[in-house]
Amino acid sequence: MKYSIKGIVASVALSAVMATGVIAEGHKTGGTLVTVLGSNVRNLNSAVQSGIVTGYPGAQLFASPMRYDENWEPQPYLAESWNVSDDGLTVTLNLVKNAKFHDGAPITSEDIAFSVEVIKANHPFKSMFAPVESVDTPDAHTAVLNLSKPHPALMLAMSGQLMSIIPKHIYGDGEITDVKTHPRNNENVVGSGPFKLVEFKNGEHVILERFDDFFIEGRPYLDRVVMRIITDPAARAIAYENGEIHMGAFESLPRIINRLKKVDTLTVTPDGYGAIGPIDWLAMNTAKGPLSDVRVRKAIAYAVDKNFIHKALMQGTASDSTSGIHPDSPFYVAQDGYDVDLEKSAVLLDEAGFPVKDGSRMSLTIDFGWPGVKPQVEYVKAALKKVNIDVEVRASADFPTWAKKMGTGDFDMSWDTVFNWGDPVIGVHRTYDSTNILKGVWSNTQSYSNARVDELMAMAAVETDIEKRKALYTEFQEIIADELPVYHTNTLPYHTVFNDKVKNAPMGIWGTSTPIDTVWLDE
Amino acid sequence: MFRGNTAAMFALIVLGLIMLCAILGPWIYPTDPFDMVWAPFSPPGVDGFLLGTDYLGRDLLAALIHGSRVSIVIGLAAASVSIVIGVTVGALAGFYLGWVEELLMRITEFFQVLPTLLFSMVIVALFGASLPMITLAIGVVSWTAVARVTRSEFLRIRELEYVMASRASGATNSKLMFRVILPNALPPIIVQAALMVGSAILFEAGLSFLGLTDPNVVSWGQVIGSNRQYILDASYTVTIPGLAIFVTVLCISLVGDGLNDALNPKLRSR
Repeated sequence: MKYSIKGIVASVALSAVMATGVIAEGHKTGGTLVTVLGSNVRNLNSAVQSGIVTGYPGAQLFASPMRYDENWEPQPYLAESWNVSDDGLTVTLNLVKNAKFHDGAPITSEDIAFSVEVIKANHPFKSMFAPVESVDTPDAHTAVLNLSKPHPALMLAMSGQLMSIIPKHIYGDGEITDVKTHPRNNENVVGSGPFKLVEFKNGEHVILERFDDFFIEGRPYLDRVVMRIITDPAARAIAYENGEIHMGAFESLPRIINRLKKVDTLTVTPDGYGAIGPIDWLAMNTAKGPLSDVRVRKAIAYAVDKNFIHKALMQGTASDSTSGIHPDSPFYVAQDGYDVDLEKSAVLLDEAGFPVKDGSRMSLTIDFGWPGVKPQVEYVKAALKKVNIDVEVRASADFPTWAKKMGTGDFDMSWDTVFNWGDPVIGVHRTYDSTNILKGVWSNTQSYSNARVDELMAMAAVETDIEKRKALYTEFQEIIADELPVYHTNTLPYHTVFNDKVKNAPMGIWGTSTPIDTVWLDE
Repeated sequence: MFRGNTAAMFALIVLGLIMLCAILGPWIYPTDPFDMVWAPFSPPGVDGFLLGTDYLGRDLLAALIHGSRVSIVIGLAAASVSIVIGVTVGALAGFYLGWVEELLMRITEFFQVLPTLLFSMVIVALFGASLPMITLAIGVVSWTAVARVTRSEFLRIRELEYVMASRASGATNSKLMFRVILPNALPPIIVQAALMVGSAILFEAGLSFLGLTDPNVVSWGQVIGSNRQYILDASYTVTIPGLAIFVTVLCISLVGDGLNDALNPKLRSR
C-alpha cells in the first residue's frame, strides 16, 4: 500500500511540473506520436482552407513567417527577423537562409509573395491580408509587404495556420484561384514545415514523417506523427483512457472532459486556445420585431442565468465570456454581467411596451445549428418563460438550413459559436460591423449597426500603438456588452488531452494549429 | 374468446390506464414538462419528484404524462393514415385485378423495398419536423403490409358465393367493395391495425431519438433522445421513458394477438 501511495504522489508532482510548463533538462528524440483529429479533413492545404481540423496537419506541413509564444509575443520562425516601418505601411520579413521545401527547393521571398496572393484569393478570412497591396522581393531572402494602411492584425495573421508558405513551383502551375482545388493539396504535398506527408486517407488517418532538412537544426524531435480520424467523442475518450492515443485537442464536451480529468495518466487542460478564441453566445436579431429594442435584449439577458449555463450545462469546464473578445486575449476587458434578475427583466419589458396579456408578453423563436447546443436552447426557452416570453424552438434539418436562416435574418434568437482567430480584426469585427451584414453565416447576422462601434473598429484596425489600440477595444467592448447584439455567455471549453509520455504539448495560443516541432515522447 | 385470454385482458387494462393518463394527465398533473422546477439530475423519489428531474431540472413525471399524449396520438393517427392508404390500395388491387392490380402492387413493392426509417427521415428533414408531418411520414412508409393483407383477403372473398350473388343481383362495384367484401375482410386488417399503432409509437420514438422531432412538443422518444448523452450520469432519465414505450408497445401487441385469436375463425373455440 505504501508504495502505491508514493507512486501517486510522484505522478501528481510530475504532472504539476508539466502543467507549469517547466521543461526538464534535455529531451528525447524519435518515436511516433499518435494523435487524433475529431472530424474528416477536407483539405490539408491551410493556405486555402480555414478551420481547426485543417489547422493541425496544416501547421505541421507548412511553416509560417512567425510563431507566437503563450504570452502573445511573436517569435521568429520562417522569418528570422522583421521590421515594421514607422508609418506602419511596409512590413519587411527577413527569411532564414537555409529553409527548404520538402522537395529540396529553397524557400525564397518569391514563395512568400505567391503564398500571400493565394491566401488573398482563396482563404475565407479576407480581412487578414486585404490591406496588403503588393509584395516586393528585393532579394531571395527579403520580402516586403506594402500596405494600403497600417494593419497591426497582420502580425497574428502571419502565425499559426493563417499564413502557410506554399511552394510557387508546385502550386503556381495554374490560375491563382485554382489552388483551392489543386490535386496536390491532399497528396504528394510539398510543404515547408517540420513534417512531411506520408499518407492521407480521409476517414482513417493522416501520417506525417520528420522532415530531415527542416530549417531549425535538430528539430522536430519526433520521427512520426500519426493523426487518426475519430469523429465520435466517446470513442476518442476511450482511446485516451487506454493509451491508444497520446494526445488530442479541441475536446469540448463537458462530460467527457470531466471524465478524462479523473484519469491519473492524462493531463486535460483548457490552456492554449486564446488565439483560436471560440466563444458561445445567444444571438439576437436586432433588425426584427421586439428584439430591435435594446430593453428587450437586456430583459432577456437578465432572465437567462449564466450561472446555470456554467454549472449545469458546461459542468464547470468553460470560462465566463462577457464582451465578444476571448478572455485569453490581451484586448479582453471583462464587462459587468447581467446577473439574473427577473424583476428587472419584467420592468424592462413593461417599459418597452410588452405587458403581460393572457399570461404572455410576446412570442419569439430560437434556432440552433447543431445538436450539441440543443440543451442551451431548451434552457433559454424555459428561462424566458419565467418572464412570460413564449419561445418556440425551431429545429433545422441540417447545418446549411440553419446557416441559411441566419444569413437571411430569418430568426429571432439563435445559439451560436464564433471564433476570434487571433486578432479582433480577423474574427471579432465581422460580427458587429454594419458593413458586414451579409448573407453568409458568421457575418453580422444580427444586423447590428452602431456608428460609434463601426468607427472604433475602423480606428483600432489601423492603430499601431498597442495601448491606444487597447483603449479603443475597451470602449468597443463596453458598448457591445451594453447594447447586446449577442449575449455572451461562456467560452467554448476546448481542452487539450495528453498522457504523461507527451512532453512540451502545445499550450501556446493556437492550440494544435501550431508546429509541434518541440514535442517529444518520454518512453 | 378475447375475454378468456388473460394476457390480452391484462394488457387491455394497462392500455386503458395509459390512455386515461394521456387524456386526463394534464388535469391530474398540471406541471409544464418544459418548466425547470428543481435542480438538475435530482434522482427519482428525492425532493418530492417521483421520477426525478432531467439535465435542466425539468420534472420527468410531467414529461412522461404529457409525452404519453403525443406518443399515443401519433401512434393512432399514423396507424390511421397507413390503414386508409393501405386499405384503399389493397381493395382496388384485389377487386379490379388486371392492370390496376399490376400497377398498385408494383407501387406497393416500391415502398416496401425502401428502408422505412431512412425514408421517413428524409420526409421529415425535407418538410420540417412538425407533428402532422411526422405522423404523415410514419403513415406513408408503413402502409404496405396493410395493402397486401387487404388485397389477399379481397382476392379470396371476391370469389365467394355471396359476393357472386350480390353481383348477380346488380350491386355496383363500390357497393361490392365496401359493403360486401370489406366488412368480411376486416378481422385481419384490425389485427394489423392494432400492431401498426405499436410500431408507429416505436417509429416516432426512433425519429425523435435522432432529433427529428418538434422540439416544442414533449414525447417519450424525445425525452430519451435529449437525455441520452447523460446516460452515464443519470440513467433513469433514459430508462423511465424507455420503459413507458416498452410497456405500451408490449400491451398493444398482446391486445393485437388477443384480437387475432378472437377474430380468427380457425382458432375460434366452439
